[in-house]
Amino acid sequence: MTQATNRSAPRRDASDVVVETRNLSKVYRDFWGRSKKTALKPLDLDVRRGEIFGLLGPNGAGKTTTLKLLLGLIFPTSGEALVFGRAATDVSKNERIGYLPEESYLYKFLDAEETLDFYGRLFGLDPEERRQRAATLIEMVGLTRDRKRQLREYSKGMTRRIGVAQALINDPELVILDEPTSGLDPIGTREMKDLIIDLKARGKTVIMCSHLLADVEDVCDRIAVLHQGELKELGRVEDLLRVTGVTQIRATGLSPAAAAEVKAVLQRHGAGDIDIGNPRTTLEDLFLEVVRDTEARPGRRARRTETAAQRAE
Amino acid sequence: MVLEQEIPRFASWIGPAVLQYLTAAAVATVVAAMLTWLAQAIGNGPLAGGDRVYRGVLAGLADILATSPRRVWALARLAIQESLRRNVLVVLAMFALILLFAGWFLDPASVDPRRLYVGFILAATNLLVCLVTLVLAVFSLPADIKSRAIQTVTTKPVHTGEIVLGRILGFATVGTCLLAIMGLAGWAFVVRSVSHGHVLEAADVFDVTNGEGAVSGAEGRTSLDRGRRHRVELDGRGGGVAETAHGHRHRGTVTGTTAAGERTYAVGAPLGLLEARRPLRGKLRFLDREGRPSIKGISVGAEWSYRQYIEGGSAAAAIWTFEGVSPERFPEGLPLEMIVRVFRTYQGNIEDGIHGTIQVRNPTSSLRSESLPIVAREHSIDSLLIPRRINTVMADGSLREVDLFADLASDGRIEVWLQCLEPAQYYGVAQADFYLRAGDGSFAVNYAKSCLGIWYSMLICTALGVMFSTFLSGPVALVAAIATLLVGQFRDFIARLFTSQVTGDSSIVPGGGPIESLYRIVTQTSITLELDPTPAVQVMKVLDTVLLAPMRLAASIFPSLASLGTSDFVAGGFDIPGDLLAAHGAEAAGYALACFIAGVFCLKARELAS
Repeated sequence: MTQATNRSAPRRDASDVVVETRNLSKVYRDFWGRSKKTALKPLDLDVRRGEIFGLLGPNGAGKTTTLKLLLGLIFPTSGEALVFGRAATDVSKNERIGYLPEESYLYKFLDAEETLDFYGRLFGLDPEERRQRAATLIEMVGLTRDRKRQLREYSKGMTRRIGVAQALINDPELVILDEPTSGLDPIGTREMKDLIIDLKARGKTVIMCSHLLADVEDVCDRIAVLHQGELKELGRVEDLLRVTGVTQIRATGLSPAAAAEVKAVLQRHGAGDIDIGNPRTTLEDLFLEVVRDTEARPGRRARRTETAAQRAE
Repeated sequence: MVLEQEIPRFASWIGPAVLQYLTAAAVATVVAAMLTWLAQAIGNGPLAGGDRVYRGVLAGLADILATSPRRVWALARLAIQESLRRNVLVVLAMFALILLFAGWFLDPASVDPRRLYVGFILAATNLLVCLVTLVLAVFSLPADIKSRAIQTVTTKPVHTGEIVLGRILGFATVGTCLLAIMGLAGWAFVVRSVSHGHVLEAADVFDVTNGEGAVSGAEGRTSLDRGRRHRVELDGRGGGVAETAHGHRHRGTVTGTTAAGERTYAVGAPLGLLEARRPLRGKLRFLDREGRPSIKGISVGAEWSYRQYIEGGSAAAAIWTFEGVSPERFPEGLPLEMIVRVFRTYQGNIEDGIHGTIQVRNPTSSLRSESLPIVAREHSIDSLLIPRRINTVMADGSLREVDLFADLASDGRIEVWLQCLEPAQYYGVAQADFYLRAGDGSFAVNYAKSCLGIWYSMLICTALGVMFSTFLSGPVALVAAIATLLVGQFRDFIARLFTSQVTGDSSIVPGGGPIESLYRIVTQTSITLELDPTPAVQVMKVLDTVLLAPMRLAASIFPSLASLGTSDFVAGGFDIPGDLLAAHGAEAAGYALACFIAGVFCLKARELAS
């Protein structure tokens, strides 16, 4: 009893560490107890309050396994995972957590309002509060017109949106998102990323996993790179992505002659691999620009070249 | 109706039974913990395994204690919504279809229409409600686990116990609503189906004159309706009761006279069809053909020994001793009702019945009343009102009128003797066959009580289904639940078979255990034939005993839905005793609680996202 009590008792709750794992590992076994797959090798992680933490890696790297261990959905083979200082298997920690699973596993026979009402009940919210939060979240994820339709009629993107809404029904302190942009179109992806950044602005801690590098790069403060169940990199995104030994110069309104002059100056100072030209925008920015322009001027071809280039600069 | 065992008072056994239940639960917990420890010890070593089991048990208990009614209700609502969206109400259409076919094919002119209709409708209701809730219960949780929707629930502050209890409660609520609707519809169907009327025409009624030639009353026959008619006797004031036929009778009255001078009659609704008798039952003992006390009567060769037989034209008698008999309780006299079966060694006139006598005796002084004649007919309940003033036979053979309660009862105890008068014919009786009609309950309430018995079965099915669904896939859980219920259904047989196997007394259950039975089938050896005790046969019997031991254990644990059924009471026109309902309620609660706790531990030990 002593051990069990100690495990579930609050620990370091007052500190900035929201999630910590110590030597956390997971080996999947078959019916006879034989080792089938090592999904996660001993992992030590700390996630601090108010940051957006990304778990990055290819498929099968152990990202989702890590999240499931943090949520108590599976049991560790060794080590421990603490969330808000409590054992991951302690149900009470879930009061402060919102979770968006990889594919929004929800009850398809419920409509959006019923879904949020159900999850609100699980948090013990009173009826008025449930109604208000459900209305706000449905509006936030843009499902007001479809709130009475059963989820089985929803598209993948809509299901994702209601999944996000259910994850936020309890106004959680820690939001865990498993592949949050999976199945979303570029607009939905951008909105999701904006939402994640907004959550951080509201003081929430976000843990997300993704194999979409651009998504992680755009929103995460710190990342952990996993590969074959092993931690390969851990640190702040800007530190990890900084390329030392290369200097980047960006300028607008530079004539070709001036560019040649700049190049000559750089060569004079011994610079190598000099590349002077127009930068490229991202496909996501291009797509969003086209969509916005089309919505602003229906029926006309999008004016993108200048605008996109300007945005890129 | 058949009542093989007396119904004990609920308060007299519930205390020890709860103690026994808790002991059994403790033993089961220890056994389960030991098995889990063994499994854990293989993979993690004995100490780590023990630690895991210890923490698992504590976590499970803490989980159950932390159950929140609000979250349980939220999950129950989800189960109800799931059932409705899966069109569970279609089962009501199926029930309507059953009623439709029952209306077409059940014969209202049958010998005992109440038994036919009540038995059929309650059986159909029981089957549908239990089957629907069982199917809902076994497939729900595995479907959630497969679709991973359970992950969005378990990542909320929801305890495992709330998931299990919520499902049991939700599906039980669905079952309750279905049962309420089916119960009401079934009751209305039964009442409408058995209710009928007759017409009494003036042409079918003849005056009856007394010895002086004056008209003392009338006699006639009702019209033929629902395949039956009744002989009616009217007194001089124009009132009377039709003779009992097919378990009921009617009241007949003269309502007036037509302009042509013909009397008109009215026949009332059937009496005795939709009733709920409250019997006062006594203890039965026998006298053999020489008049000596005997534990039981004669076996006439029937395989079922429920009824014992007494020989006609001899001193053999069946004697019931009733207690609690008083003039306050029975102011009119003793309303004796009896079911007497007949075993004929020669057919005689089958329409006549077999003659016998009833006597009332004082159990202390042996003062006895004069013999009251009866005629036993198969398949009917005969009634006899033993009056307050009754003649007794004195030592010199003379008769003296005495008071029934003052002279023939002793401390509220009174004996009723049954004897058969016809030599070479036999009366067959059981303890429950003779009773004093102490009152009547409402048929509607009795029907509702029987539905409560169905509700108990439904609750067990639901809890069992949910429990199996916590660790098995839907189809496998369904098979497991049905297998459990089937073993429970035959638990008495398995218990007797095991006793027969262990004691070697093949008369208890002839034919042996599973291997011996298979051997007999293959070699076409009769079950009544003893096998030679060769070494091979001995080995076979030992193996049978080994196989039967776990079956015997399972049979003593698994629920028997048949034992919870009370439709026989309603069909027989008897009020369902409160003690019986309470006993069944306690049994259902015990199974539901055990299933809930087992379900919690099974689900808690499971990785829901692996």
